[in-house]
Amino acid sequence: MIDVQRIESPTRAAFHRPSSGPRILSVGTATPPRKYTQDEVLDVFGETDPKIRGVFRSSHIGSRYLYLPDPIDGRMVEETNQELLAKHRDGALEIGSQAIEEALRPLGLAPYDVDFLCCITTTGFLCPSLSAHLIKKMIFRENVQRIDILGMGCNAAVNGLQAVTAFARANPGKLALMLCVEICSAAYVYNQSMVTGVVNSLFGDGAAAIVIRQDGADTWQRGPIVADFEPHIVSEALMAMRYDVQGSKLSFFLARDIPYEIGANVEKPVNRLLGRHGLKRKDIDHWLVHSGGAKVIDAIEYNVGLTDHDMRHTLGVLKNFGNLSSGSILFSYKELCREGVVREGDLGVAIAMGPGTSIETALLIW
Amino acid sequence: MHPYETLKVVQEGNVVTAFLDRPESHNAINMRMVNDLSHLIDAIDEAKDVSVLVLRGGPDVFSCGIDLHEFASHEKRNIYGLQKWEQMCRELERLNKFTVAAVQGECTGGGFQLVLSCDARIAERRAVFCFDEVKLGFLPGMATFRLAKYIGLGRAKSIILTGRRLGAEEALTWGLLDRVCEQVSFEETLTETVNDLLPFHPVALEMARRLLDESFSTTYENYLGHFLAAQYRAINSEPFDRLVARAARQDRLGRVGTARREREK
Repeated sequence: MIDVQRIESPTRAAFHRPSSGPRILSVGTATPPRKYTQDEVLDVFGETDPKIRGVFRSSHIGSRYLYLPDPIDGRMVEETNQELLAKHRDGALEIGSQAIEEALRPLGLAPYDVDFLCCITTTGFLCPSLSAHLIKKMIFRENVQRIDILGMGCNAAVNGLQAVTAFARANPGKLALMLCVEICSAAYVYNQSMVTGVVNSLFGDGAAAIVIRQDGADTWQRGPIVADFEPHIVSEALMAMRYDVQGSKLSFFLARDIPYEIGANVEKPVNRLLGRHGLKRKDIDHWLVHSGGAKVIDAIEYNVGLTDHDMRHTLGVLKNFGNLSSGSILFSYKELCREGVVREGDLGVAIAMGPGTSIETALLIW
Repeated sequence: MHPYETLKVVQEGNVVTAFLDRPESHNAINMRMVNDLSHLIDAIDEAKDVSVLVLRGGPDVFSCGIDLHEFASHEKRNIYGLQKWEQMCRELERLNKFTVAAVQGECTGGGFQLVLSCDARIAERRAVFCFDEVKLGFLPGMATFRLAKYIGLGRAKSIILTGRRLGAEEALTWGLLDRVCEQVSFEETLTETVNDLLPFHPVALEMARRLLDESFSTTYENYLGHFLAAQYRAINSEPFDRLVARAARQDRLGRVGTARREREK
């Protein structure tokens, strides 16, 4: 048949590609040293409730990296709130700095070269903030601009990208760095209820950092331009995902219907984002979707019309790391880069959902 | 409708009929036709006033298959054109409107695959279906994937490996076709087939079709997850709102009726 080198739809062919914009230049990730299978977590906690064991086993998660204390006499010791906060700080500094190093190393850059630092976390609170701790630990410049994003949950990477890319766009040539670090094991409450059982079966610890710069000399091989954003907030479901206080500890609550509610709304931002660029869903080559959990992944697949293949990194990250909260889509992004299938001109959409109830989307152009 | 070189397209009410229209070459599917079909599918995908797309050929031939004239004769042939063809078949299979294939006469290779990609399939009694590719030394595209799901592996092997010709009656018995009729009643049968599909609920159609498409290829647990996500969307769509409102209304009327009967006792 006639040579159709690129299989391009008319809408995609008509799409106006920006020649420059803030690009993601590299990504680095890190996890705690210890990895647990679902059965190991159940054993460590001595969980015998068949219902909770069932939730763990049907979660589509193979293993997760967690900062769990060593059991004493074969039993898990309950961590105090103070211990959990310290675990969050120490863990965030450990894997956060590893992820930053991994992101900077391939560019031959050091923390000293960074002009803007954005740190994102929801799983613990500290003041001075994480960025201040990291500046001291990793020797960033004393005049680095910085911002910390707290409490935005799983969608926060896309919100962070909004700030970081705005900086990069306004300051061409300058270097921005964004870190997502979540120590979900510091927000675990173990009280044998189904609510905490679901949460404890799902979340994992991990950190991911990306480097962003707008520079005319950078090409698509470096990484995609972050071209546009489209949020959607479902205020009726404000409290569907939230922190409750259990005793003195923060305990995450997930409403039962929320995966489906997100599914029912996800088309709205996606349609708006693509619509204003004259694009259709089939013009999108790569989907980077937050690994929220098996149910919400199903709901997004069915409502956006995506396949397991489109979701392969989302499913893979869920299987190997659990729900990493804000860092999750950056882990998927790293897997996509590793795969080596991205070509010049490819289009991608990132979707991250979290408390608010919030669905954040972004358009990526290689 | 946009004028196409290889298709004749007519719209009557909410039904669009596309006739494959290359009579000089027995409706052989060339790249132009693949692009025309792809363009038409895009247009129908966006059309708010269309519920059904009907695919037809001529009175004696639906299609004789992929046009071999499209392939270079003296150099290495690439796969991209065939990739585009498969992509178009998938778009047809997942179009957000009902699709009907109405076959008269010969339906071979790529033509047969178009038929398999449609929601409803009917033929006139003289129609003959066949995948002759393996007999000729190449492959019948992703029809290998689709055919076995319709009729089972054994029958699919027999059809694809022997290239034997399947009459409309036999295709009906095997469940490949929904209806077979005489030449004189073809139009009438087509209208009945279209009417049987209506009314058109886009969400229900899209979800049901995707689930059916997965039925042979996933585990019960994964499928259940997909089903629940799909059903959540369906029971929160507008047609279901109306259904629930009607049930509530009937309930009220029913109670009034019961009360009246009670009083009349």
